[in-house]
Amino acid sequence: MKKLLLVIATLVVMPAAIAHDFDAGSIYIDHPMVEEAPPGARVLGGYVSLHNQGAEDDRLVAIESTAAEKVEMHRSVVTDGIARMTPLTEGIELPAGEMVWLGSDGIHAMFIGPDKRYVAGDEIPATLVFEKAGRIDVTFKVEERATTRAPGHGDHAQ
Amino acid sequence: MKSLRVLRIVLWALVLVVGAGAAYLFLSARNAPVDAGPAVYATPFTLIDQDGNEVTEADFLGKPSAWFYGFTHCPDVCPTTLSEMSALLEALGPDADRLQAVFVSIDPERDDVATMKDYVEYFDDRIVGLTGSLENVSAMAKARYIFFEKVPLEGGDYTMEHSASVHLADAGGSFFGTLDGEEPFDTRLQKLRRLIE
Repeated sequence: MKKLLLVIATLVVMPAAIAHDFDAGSIYIDHPMVEEAPPGARVLGGYVSLHNQGAEDDRLVAIESTAAEKVEMHRSVVTDGIARMTPLTEGIELPAGEMVWLGSDGIHAMFIGPDKRYVAGDEIPATLVFEKAGRIDVTFKVEERATTRAPGHGDHAQ
Repeated sequence: MKSLRVLRIVLWALVLVVGAGAAYLFLSARNAPVDAGPAVYATPFTLIDQDGNEVTEADFLGKPSAWFYGFTHCPDVCPTTLSEMSALLEALGPDADRLQAVFVSIDPERDDVATMKDYVEYFDDRIVGLTGSLENVSAMAKARYIFFEKVPLEGGDYTMEHSASVHLADAGGSFFGTLDGEEPFDTRLQKLRRLIE
């Protein structure tokens, strides 16, 4: 019985330990990450998913980090073949009950002027500032850049 | 009688010449790309590569090429395009030798030679990185119908708007087509294979 409890406890606790998430009351913050950039890059793209589980709409008004000169929220879009970037100066709306992913629709956090070179495995401390949920400290994990490689393309190379 | 014989030889010679000419025209027409436009990629330019060498259009002719125009202060579209270019080169395997991939900075005021070297070689050292004077970059972009524009941001900073797709040129410098980031990876790979065939 004791053993069974241990197994159950492990199953319950383990995913929480492996997953990388933060709970800010009504806002569930999942997997803040930054893509590793080339040496000397003055900007880093940051991504995170935000699930507003509360009954009220909220808004991500700012991201602060001591590891960069400033952090801005942007949307990059490609329209008529032209890449454009618009600063989201009003922040990002988080409608009640919905999940908003910085990473889709070209929305991202831009860490400008990082204090050093960050490589995969590093962590960048930051604070997400919500209009209603307040200030939440999180850690952006630096990860290798993912490419949309064709599955198993390595095997097809001639 | 002798003059008739000469005439016959002359006429047969003419038949040979016309036949050879027709055959030449037929074969060369068959080998020409179907929709080769004007060779805008053969338009003269002078820029600096990531090793500090001056390069011109001549350095990129004679081999098909894939060109992307972006800037290093770009967190999203540009690094994604370059890492996908690297993945495409990898997927081409040894055939990648028959293609030259080039990244041109349309923000040469911030992208100096050292920045370009670090940047392109991080993704793939087979990608050439070009920068230069704003005047020279602008002239190249204009000749190739590439759009870019500086857009001021709050606080005195700026960002760049720019043509987003990868432009392909054949060995003679004619525009061959584009790779679009929205297309499936395999579509883009097939386009590159068709370009280097």
